[in-house]
Amino acid sequence: MSSDPEKMMSKADKMTKLTLTRWSADWRGATELYEQAANGFRASSKYERAKVALEKASQGQVMQSSPWDAAKHMESAAALAQKLSIWNEVADFYRKASELYVECGRAQPASDALGKAARALEDVKPEDAIQLYTDACEILEEDGRDQMAFDLYRACASVYIKLEKFTDAATFFLRLGVAADKCDATNSQCKAYLSAIIVYLYGHDLKQAEKCYNDCSQIDAFLKSDQNRAASRLLTAYNEGDIEEIKKVACSSTVSNLDHAIIKLARKLPTGDVTAVQMNAGDDLDEDDLT
Amino acid sequence: MTVINIIFRVEEICKKYDKYDVDKQRELGASGDDAFSRLFNSIDTDIESVVHKAELASTETNRAAAVALNAEVRRTKARLAEDVVKLQKLAVKKVKGLTKEEREARCDLVIALADRIQVIPDGHERQANNEWGGASAPNKNIKFDISEGLDALKNLARDMNEELDKQVPLMDEMETKVDGATSDLKNTNVRLKQQLVKMRSSRNFCIDIILLCVCSELKLVTASTDILIAIVKPMVTS
Repeated sequence: MSSDPEKMMSKADKMTKLTLTRWSADWRGATELYEQAANGFRASSKYERAKVALEKASQGQVMQSSPWDAAKHMESAAALAQKLSIWNEVADFYRKASELYVECGRAQPASDALGKAARALEDVKPEDAIQLYTDACEILEEDGRDQMAFDLYRACASVYIKLEKFTDAATFFLRLGVAADKCDATNSQCKAYLSAIIVYLYGHDLKQAEKCYNDCSQIDAFLKSDQNRAASRLLTAYNEGDIEEIKKVACSSTVSNLDHAIIKLARKLPTGDVTAVQMNAGDDLDEDDLT
Repeated sequence: MTVINIIFRVEEICKKYDKYDVDKQRELGASGDDAFSRLFNSIDTDIESVVHKAELASTETNRAAAVALNAEVRRTKARLAEDVVKLQKLAVKKVKGLTKEEREARCDLVIALADRIQVIPDGHERQANNEWGGASAPNKNIKFDISEGLDALKNLARDMNEELDKQVPLMDEMETKVDGATSDLKNTNVRLKQQLVKMRSSRNFCIDIILLCVCSELKLVTASTDILIAIVKPMVTS
């Protein structure tokens, strides 16, 4: 058999084309040739051709009802597409691989595939990355593996923060809190709630932060935690306009154990005019004021 | 100068030069000439002076001076404790003219002296009270560092706990799958062996191979003899 990848590709293409002399495609033989051709192209750094060979190998595995191998080939093709910076194909290939993994009944690899796609597209196409992260989280939640989704939630929230969509980021942290609550992961849950409050404060939304704090205080695990104390101190400091106290809380060990993105936001607090809050608090009517 | 002044001055001079009065010293100690007595007396006078210093330190208002006095008292106490050890050795030594009872009395004197030295106040208990009364800055910093370190440890421990909780079901799943794979492999091996035995036992297999080799060699030999005969025959007939 010829070792030239191009010849292998053309031979494999012939094997799959139906003609008068060939009434059925030999997918098995063709898939083997496609795989060998892909290895050959990769060895000679012809990544474009290797990508095409892997795509066809994946299709061959699908025709042989072997979705696991097909998914593996698709992932390899997607990795090559990433190397070549063909971003549309990266997303498409990883999605296809994810669907094939779901067909195999394997939720974790399916979610991992989408996670890899999202990570690849974070910088170039953040909106698509967010969608991919969300889909990855949903796959794991449907399979009852909420605990494995924590990292995906955090990554998605950090993308939102980069895009300065603070409300969405806080919402994702609250979703993380819900997932953590299902798994009794109280530490992650409390950290998620504190992160959400800090994100609201960074976005100049003190009211939302207070509402969030009031809602989270209904949860026993959060009520007894260090994160609750830190949040309470932070909000009190905001209401009193005590900038020193805000900075102190932001540098405390409780905040320093959160995600890096949140620590960066916390260190920059207070944003905006804290004294305005203090003045608004002073506008409350005096009891002795009879006007 | 009046007579009374002269009397006082003479008394002061006598007190100053008392130690040179041999008769008086003999009266004070039973045998004032030996080393034990000399050392005993010097330790006794030192103890008096240390007690006096300790009293001064307790009444001193200036904290720095009080600290210096207390340090001096502690240093002297340590030196006296070493001297008491020497005195103890001298007390048990046999001396000419000394009875057994007197030797035992000397040992008791040494023990009493050691107790007197221990009892001298050197400001430790007061220092201990002051430490807790007004916490000094280095202690505060140390406590702050310890609390920060403990916070970090607590957070690490909680995160590790969560991570372990996450990994435990994965490990269980992996164990189940590996157990399944192991049992499949065992079954496959058993079936393979049965198949091989059914096809051919190992002894028969070896015999088959040997016979095949022998047959192939025989064929070669017959073929070569045929060729030889074919070559030789024309030569013979001619």
